[in-house]
Amino acid sequence: MTFINRQLWVKTIKQVFFIALIVLVAGFSSNKLRSDKIPLVEDWSAKSNFVTPSGENLEISLSEAENLFNKGLATFVDARSVTEYNEGYIKGAKSLPYKEVDWRFIEVMEGVSEESAVITYCDGETCELSMELAVFLRNTGYKNVRVLSNGWTVWRQKGLPVEAGPQ
Amino acid sequence: MKEGVWQKIQSYMYHGARIILGLVFIYASYDKILHPAAFAKVIYNYQILPDELVNLTAIFLPLLELTIGFLLIIGIWLPGSVFIGNLLLIIFFSAIIYNKARGLDISCGCFSTSEGEATDSTFYLLRDFSFVVIAVYLFIKVFISSLAVNNRSSRISP
Repeated sequence: MTFINRQLWVKTIKQVFFIALIVLVAGFSSNKLRSDKIPLVEDWSAKSNFVTPSGENLEISLSEAENLFNKGLATFVDARSVTEYNEGYIKGAKSLPYKEVDWRFIEVMEGVSEESAVITYCDGETCELSMELAVFLRNTGYKNVRVLSNGWTVWRQKGLPVEAGPQ
Repeated sequence: MKEGVWQKIQSYMYHGARIILGLVFIYASYDKILHPAAFAKVIYNYQILPDELVNLTAIFLPLLELTIGFLLIIGIWLPGSVFIGNLLLIIFFSAIIYNKARGLDISCGCFSTSEGEATDSTFYLLRDFSFVVIAVYLFIKVFISSLAVNNRSSRISP
């Protein structure tokens, strides 16, 4: 008994080739025709995650955030889900999951002055929830919103104060 | 009689697996085809592919899923589509394991391009594993069982 059925494999390779051809043609043409097309190659490294469309960089360094924290000058806002927040968060941080921002933001941000410093964070270098939340808060009138990149992880790694449990 | 029933069950299993996997692929492609830019971001977040390949993958991968999904359901070009299906699922599965192992918390982007879906990767792993099982079953059916059939028929007709 031969393990490799040559005929079948030749057939398979031919079919794979034709499927690839269909996909290539369909992909190029549909991406050319559609209105929301994307460039075939994009420079992702240049895309800073924390720059607003108007060109402002919202990222705050850990030391700067720590400084504001120690002086009690900033309100930290956690953009992750409630479950993740309950497992642990930056001490004193408010929970405002980006997913629920539309209907929870008034209740959560009550008492936080629009002039005061607000620092949003989530977890992971590529997490965009904090940036989306920061943009949302700026649009609602908060003038001094900054984003702590990979916030939860860098905060813990430096051994800064944290809390856990429901707010 | 008993063998007849068994063959019937096997036939149901085979066609069922083919159609389920086809539907999974089509369903998985739908949202990604609608939102290529969002899907590109999901791929970028996986941090596995070099940047130059991110957008190309976002354009072609969903169409590949759609195509083999259709082929699996219609039941033509099965060797080719089952082969590619296995390849894709094994790559997806490894990508999730890889990112779980290095502790990267990402939304999997398996079926939807929106972020912030539950990020419990163990669930994704189990779900993807069940798809891999179905795909491997089809692979065995198409590539190895047909070999047995071919051998038997060649024995009968010299």
